[in-house]
Amino acid sequence: MTVADVSLDRLVDWLTRFRALVTENQGYLTELDSAIGDADHGSNMARGMNAVIDKLGEPQTVDALFKTVGMTLVSSVGGASGPLYGTFFLRIGTTAGAVDSLDGATLSAGLRAGFDGVISRGKAEPGDKTMVDAMGPALDALDASLGSGSDPAAAAAAAFEAAQRGRDATEPLVARKGRASYLGERSAGHLDPGATSTAFLFQALAEALA
Amino acid sequence: MIGIVVVSHSPALADAAVALALEMVAGAPPPIAVAAGAGDGVVGTDAIAVAAAIDEVASPDGVLVFMDLGSAVLSASMALEFTATDVEVRLSDAPFVEGVVAGIVLAAAGATLDDAAREASSAMTAKNAQLESAPPADPQTPAPVVDGAVTAEATIVNDVGLHARPASVIVAKMAEFDARVQIADADDPTRSAPAGSLLALMGLGLGKGTRLRISGTGPDAAAAVEWVRATTADGYGE
Repeated sequence: MTVADVSLDRLVDWLTRFRALVTENQGYLTELDSAIGDADHGSNMARGMNAVIDKLGEPQTVDALFKTVGMTLVSSVGGASGPLYGTFFLRIGTTAGAVDSLDGATLSAGLRAGFDGVISRGKAEPGDKTMVDAMGPALDALDASLGSGSDPAAAAAAAFEAAQRGRDATEPLVARKGRASYLGERSAGHLDPGATSTAFLFQALAEALA
Repeated sequence: MIGIVVVSHSPALADAAVALALEMVAGAPPPIAVAAGAGDGVVGTDAIAVAAAIDEVASPDGVLVFMDLGSAVLSASMALEFTATDVEVRLSDAPFVEGVVAGIVLAAAGATLDDAAREASSAMTAKNAQLESAPPADPQTPAPVVDGAVTAEATIVNDVGLHARPASVIVAKMAEFDARVQIADADDPTRSAPAGSLLALMGLGLGKGTRLRISGTGPDAAAAVEWVRATTADGYGE
């Protein structure tokens, strides 16, 4: 294995770490969501990722892995994060195809397709105070890092940095999508729960590829 | 008959909306499937369950899907990727309760997917018209009486007036005629609605003692207008 390869095991490790992060921070995510939403993001994500890890089995290809992940999320999360994260993972799988590892370019292409799926599913734009505000900058940083010759591990670390900045930048925003948009101006002054869980997603990726 | 799918965060909410609609269905109801809750009592929606509900009621006439809010809309749009059926499936932008009522009543009356979807979508117009903040009348609404129309008058005699059940009976019956029939308050012709539009008729709130002006155009206009006149004079069978 070269340093450029992202094996199936590492992708499973990514999901396992993401499960651990959303489970450990379940109360925190729900607390954020209780300020501007319906107080279920933490419990929804923890339930969804626990179901994912239970169902993973031993996938042989990247598309099989992410199909299981996506289908499990859409049927077990309950809230809007189900179809959104579900679409994200399903698109990664269909873009990657029946391969047993990814390199920097195919990882980037998969994540980018997943992001496009989230946008087309949720119709959110940058600045709407959603997961898009963390995911967009993360993928831009990942691509910039890969473009300058970094390996996937370094690129994922850069993506995590950018996701955190994107997450933090949602705090002053007024929500324009989702339950939080009903609050109008009162949604300002709180971190967006979806952007926060997306930062955990990239933290998990950075740790899994390190 | 088109199939109806009801998507909600809450099974209780979905079941209650369906029950409300079925109160107004006299004959056989359309195929109805509920996809509500995320399992184990969790408030939420499940795209896989929505897809299964669509497949369950799929008919050659199509399927009309009503959603409450937020993730219900996302799950329903995602479900279209997972359905097995190849019949036409339409996601309605109607407000939930009004949409479910209009969709089920019209489906039972044999409405096409286009007609049921359009009527459900116009639900907010009917509700706005009931409130003082009513927007200007829809320019698409035909004038109460047009040149060459067949007209008749009748006075509402039943105690509760032209409420939901009589309106649904009229709407169902109108589907049998090749005619455009309009029902108006004869003393205030601005209060007027197409006889084929459930929510618009209900929105007029025509009470006991109101004199109706019924007008129609088209090949079956005479028969259709006479039927409305007679059933009104008869107290809508109540």
